[in-house]
Amino acid sequence: MRMSGFFIYLAKRLGQFVFVVFTGVTLAFLIAHFSPVDPIEQTVSLLTSFGNTDPRAVEMLRQSLRELYGTDGTLFEQYLAFWSRVVRGDFGPSLSAFPTPVMTVIGRSLPWTVGLLTLATLLAWILGNLLGALAGYFRNSRLLKLVGVFVMSMQPIPTYITGLTLIIVFGYVWPVLPISGGAQLNLEPSFSWAYVSSVIVHGTLPALTLVLVGLGGWFISMRSLVSNIVTDDHVVYAELAGVRSRTIFSQYVARNAMLPQVTGLALTLGHVFGGAVIVEFVFNYPGMGRLLIVGIYAGDYSLVLGVTTIAIIAVATAVFVIDILYPLVDPRVKLG
Amino acid sequence: MKLLRTIAMAAVASLLALPAFAQDFIAGIPRNEALIIQGTPAQNADWFNVWAPGGGGAANVNGLQQLSTDTFWFINPEGGPDAWQNALASEPPIYNEDFTQMTVKLREGIFWSDGVEFTADDVVYTVQTLIDHPGMNWSAAFTVNVASMESPDRNTVVFNLKAPNSRFHTLFTVRWNAAWIMPKHVFEKVEDPLAFNNNPPVSLGAYALHSYDKGGNWTIWKLRDDWQRTSIGMDWGQPQVKYVVYRTAGNPEARVIEQRNHNLDVINDIAPEGMFSIMKDNPTAAAWLPNFPFAHPDPTLPSVLFNTKKPPFDNKDVRWALALLIDIRAVALGSYRGAANLSALATPPTGSAPDDYFVPMQDWLANFELDTGTRKVKPYNPNVSAELANMVRGQWGDQIPTDPEQLKRLFGFGWWKQDVQAATELLQKAGFTKQGNRWMKPDGSPFTIRVQVEGDAIPTLARAGTAIAQQWSQAGIDAKVDVAGPTNGQRLSTGDFETAIYWTIETWGGHPDLSFFLDSYHSEFIKPVGETQPPRNLQRWEDPRLDEIIERNRLIAFDSPEVVELGKDFLKLAVEEMPMIPLMAYNKFAPFDTTYWTNYPSAENPYSASGPNWSNIRYMVVSLKPSGTAAQ
Repeated sequence: MRMSGFFIYLAKRLGQFVFVVFTGVTLAFLIAHFSPVDPIEQTVSLLTSFGNTDPRAVEMLRQSLRELYGTDGTLFEQYLAFWSRVVRGDFGPSLSAFPTPVMTVIGRSLPWTVGLLTLATLLAWILGNLLGALAGYFRNSRLLKLVGVFVMSMQPIPTYITGLTLIIVFGYVWPVLPISGGAQLNLEPSFSWAYVSSVIVHGTLPALTLVLVGLGGWFISMRSLVSNIVTDDHVVYAELAGVRSRTIFSQYVARNAMLPQVTGLALTLGHVFGGAVIVEFVFNYPGMGRLLIVGIYAGDYSLVLGVTTIAIIAVATAVFVIDILYPLVDPRVKLG
Repeated sequence: MKLLRTIAMAAVASLLALPAFAQDFIAGIPRNEALIIQGTPAQNADWFNVWAPGGGGAANVNGLQQLSTDTFWFINPEGGPDAWQNALASEPPIYNEDFTQMTVKLREGIFWSDGVEFTADDVVYTVQTLIDHPGMNWSAAFTVNVASMESPDRNTVVFNLKAPNSRFHTLFTVRWNAAWIMPKHVFEKVEDPLAFNNNPPVSLGAYALHSYDKGGNWTIWKLRDDWQRTSIGMDWGQPQVKYVVYRTAGNPEARVIEQRNHNLDVINDIAPEGMFSIMKDNPTAAAWLPNFPFAHPDPTLPSVLFNTKKPPFDNKDVRWALALLIDIRAVALGSYRGAANLSALATPPTGSAPDDYFVPMQDWLANFELDTGTRKVKPYNPNVSAELANMVRGQWGDQIPTDPEQLKRLFGFGWWKQDVQAATELLQKAGFTKQGNRWMKPDGSPFTIRVQVEGDAIPTLARAGTAIAQQWSQAGIDAKVDVAGPTNGQRLSTGDFETAIYWTIETWGGHPDLSFFLDSYHSEFIKPVGETQPPRNLQRWEDPRLDEIIERNRLIAFDSPEVVELGKDFLKLAVEEMPMIPLMAYNKFAPFDTTYWTNYPSAENPYSASGPNWSNIRYMVVSLKPSGTAAQ
């Protein structure tokens, strides 16, 4: 591989990365600001609902909040101010958790989401690919056919239903697992076994939901890939030459089928920063998805922009990393 | 294949090992010392400054305003002879003759949780600080009202008002919340009280902050060792609950399961189906009513709101016609599965209102006549509660009483008869015509109505809107439901709706004075459609007779007998003009678990409100008694 060619390739991909991030974040800014939900009105509503409210006082409160939240100024002025803050990693104060900075609010949720989704994505990927590869190779196995039926029947079930079913089974019928929250109540976060085990136990059902839902896609695609490869000349030749079936499976078939799956994994991992909205809602899990929903409902565009910008950068970064690693692992990709 | 078997065996082994991972529900706190209440997810869990808008409201309702703050007075929304409670004040407010001055006598011997004594200085400092910092909660209300303050001694505060205001004390009177008193000794050291998170908060209530989750999932409050030195401790004796845990509990299904697993003593609100499930299958469950309909009626009145600035809803004949096309029994069944407390009057049928208004006005309602243009009809049906009871008796059997008077207290005193013929005559009187089965407006275009609902956030009202739209459609009106989601509030306040299922009437519940919502109905506050209307009067209903009632009410004392008479005048006017069609009380399904605690408030013993977000719940917390169940 010529190094100059690689650097030209790298520069092009970097340009593409910057363009994707810029366009994505700009679109997110516009969509968030065109939302019909006004954060000032949401706050006024929270502060005045249920209470004894003097209309003159409400008008005064509305004006004070507008000045306090800094929502004055044209859209373009706000856009310029937004970019000047973003490059410093500052999304300003959250309007629904005023005056706490958006990054502080996100910082509390991000570890939960990244931990849960990374683990669940990897588990689903490993199990799905392993079972898919076995099912594609040992096409006549009854057990694997049964596994295939189970996995494919899980695939179309909505995440909400899967999560709810697990809640009923493990929270009510056989109540052995917690169905809500990220850890035990009144436990200080630390690296103690008590806390870590509590996080694992609380994350079991959300993770299981994500694995059950995510398994099918990996299983089906891997089984299709393997089913094609097993009829390739080099595999038939190896079988005729008496190579051990385990070696054919692991070295000739599964390995070749893995390449697109690795790409898929990297892209999926890029998505973990956006949160798993439905699972987090069902299990009351303190992650980014729940944060995003709260932000949207409160018209907190600072928070929505913070969460979406991080998600956009994460996905673009994942694509970028795949792009620059691909030529190194697959010589068929041309440079320059 | 060996690998596959290994995976399968590992999965089975993991399942069997699950019980070994079971943990105590709360680490380090015996379950039988803790009351667990459904809380709200808090984005800003570090924030305990109840006087600044931070926290988005959630921080305030996770125990802060229920357990640690205090102010002069509370009103129990359930009514009764003891509805008025002196808290930090030792007696009710003292006004001068023209209501330009209010004097408050403070209780002695109250201390903040850090040992500093509460005095009049705290009160004066609170009001002045709020006035000095626009944007703080209650700042605007004090700026509008307060000219100056004096504290002639450490237990007396005198407020001099900018203009006569016989309801100034209501700023310090808790229904859901009120202006809470700040700890001067804490806030005077702070440079910017708007940016101060007040963490940990110094408490004036019987409980102080014990611990909280930075992720906003739970907050735990602990009984103060010196609980006797608080207003609630002085009046209500020693609390038995040592810890109060506010925790988020997930989706409605999870909440039902959590209560049945005894991990959630108080649920805030669930759909009727969840309530029925708990009450049928959970032997340790309790509710406001022991039998169907179980619900607690909040002093809030869901109604069909009309945008009276948009034709044809500016015409009272049209509004009345739409009311008479409704079969309220079907709406009650469709929205609340029959568990509804109906109201024909524009005030919720809860607290003291049945005795103040509903019982005395039955004759007037029964004799009320409506001119349809061709004849006069008496639209009131006083027997609707019995009809509704008969419809649900098949499902609930003996749980439904037969005494008509009791039925009225459970299902409502009456409502309007569905009268399609009278509605037809009213629409014709308004110039409408019928082509086939379709109603056409006076200008010849089809009569279409958008019925705005919020959606899943308040499912019972969304169902009510759907039922009403169906009934109007059956009568020949092109009615469609419009789900507004999070834009609901803004669309209502800017007048971007035709009709909506929501509430613009909330009352004290425990007091007949209607100024709580009525004062803001004055025409001086009405904004043109497109501009933001202040809360309440989202109908933009304007009537000189209404202004006259409000102006008269402003000039009489809160406890004057004339308050009830003016209230009746308003209710009669609202019936005649029908600016909104009152439907029913907001029935809240808030089940309790009695495994660890008993003596929850109920219709039989209504010593407190039952909603966990209401500050009045502090009276419930200190009144609970241990059931004797050992900790798990």
